[in-house]
Amino acid sequence: MLASEVYELRANLRRQGVVFAYSGYVTEGILSGVGDALKQKLVSEDADTKTLRSVFAVFVEQMQNMIRYSVERLPADGETEVLDISYGIVTIGNEADGYVVHAGNLILLSDVDNMRKRLSELRAMNREELRAAYKGQLRSETDAVSNSAGIGLIEIARRASKPIEFDFMRIDDQHAFFALKATV
Amino acid sequence: MQKIDIPATNRTPAVAFDFDVGHLKLIGESYPEDVTTFYNPLFDALKSWLSDGSISKCRFDFELIYFNSSSAKAIMLIMELLDSAAEAGKSVDVYWFHDPEDETMEELGEEFGEDLKHAKFTLEKLLDR
Repeated sequence: MLASEVYELRANLRRQGVVFAYSGYVTEGILSGVGDALKQKLVSEDADTKTLRSVFAVFVEQMQNMIRYSVERLPADGETEVLDISYGIVTIGNEADGYVVHAGNLILLSDVDNMRKRLSELRAMNREELRAAYKGQLRSETDAVSNSAGIGLIEIARRASKPIEFDFMRIDDQHAFFALKATV
Repeated sequence: MQKIDIPATNRTPAVAFDFDVGHLKLIGESYPEDVTTFYNPLFDALKSWLSDGSISKCRFDFELIYFNSSSAKAIMLIMELLDSAAEAGKSVDVYWFHDPEDETMEELGEEFGEDLKHAKFTLEKLLDR
């Protein structure tokens, strides 16, 4: 019974072409570990250099966006040096069009309109426009080396081989679930 | 100034700043857990070295295989320091080596290079690595 339940979970993911799946609290350590396994897997599949780097780049930006911006978080422990950690889901798989990286996390309902606007703009941009947007964003943030979702999202759109897809789902009065899909 | 030699890790590039020779390099991949912690000491060292009036020339090699968007900002800040030094009269050569199969890294090099107004910029393919 137990084996069949767990196997069914795995089979479900496989049926959707998912090769890697992580759902839970995400940390930089998880980014490193899953990232290393992902690299190995891509190398073993003989992915060309450009694809390998792009899948990896999209994965890194998706993970770091979740780590920084997911609003579902385990609070920091004031007494020890444990930082707060955020909750999210990321999957990497194969579809007919290529490699696909999905990511999802909770955001504030009040941020949905802004994000929708920003992502729609990115979706509509061609390569040259994405290039210019990347540069513009980099320049506008150079005062300090800060963490910004802006440039990360542009990097994802740049590395993707077709327009990024996104969606939002209302969860409660304050929260929405945000999902992002990038195909490389 | 004391040489800076930091070996590469999974997530941070090797740093080889040989100030006596005037040849500085960043080699490898850059997606540090904390960009500020990794790059701030490098900025400080570079800044203080470049402010030394007796230094007349500098060569900086970027041999990066991959860097994330937070590292891009750090790279841009390094470029700005180098360009200001060139503007102040030093001879500054910036080399950007990229994997010939990775056009994104080539494009990024072009973009950083376009912003150098005073330093000399060279884009080159990284061979046999």
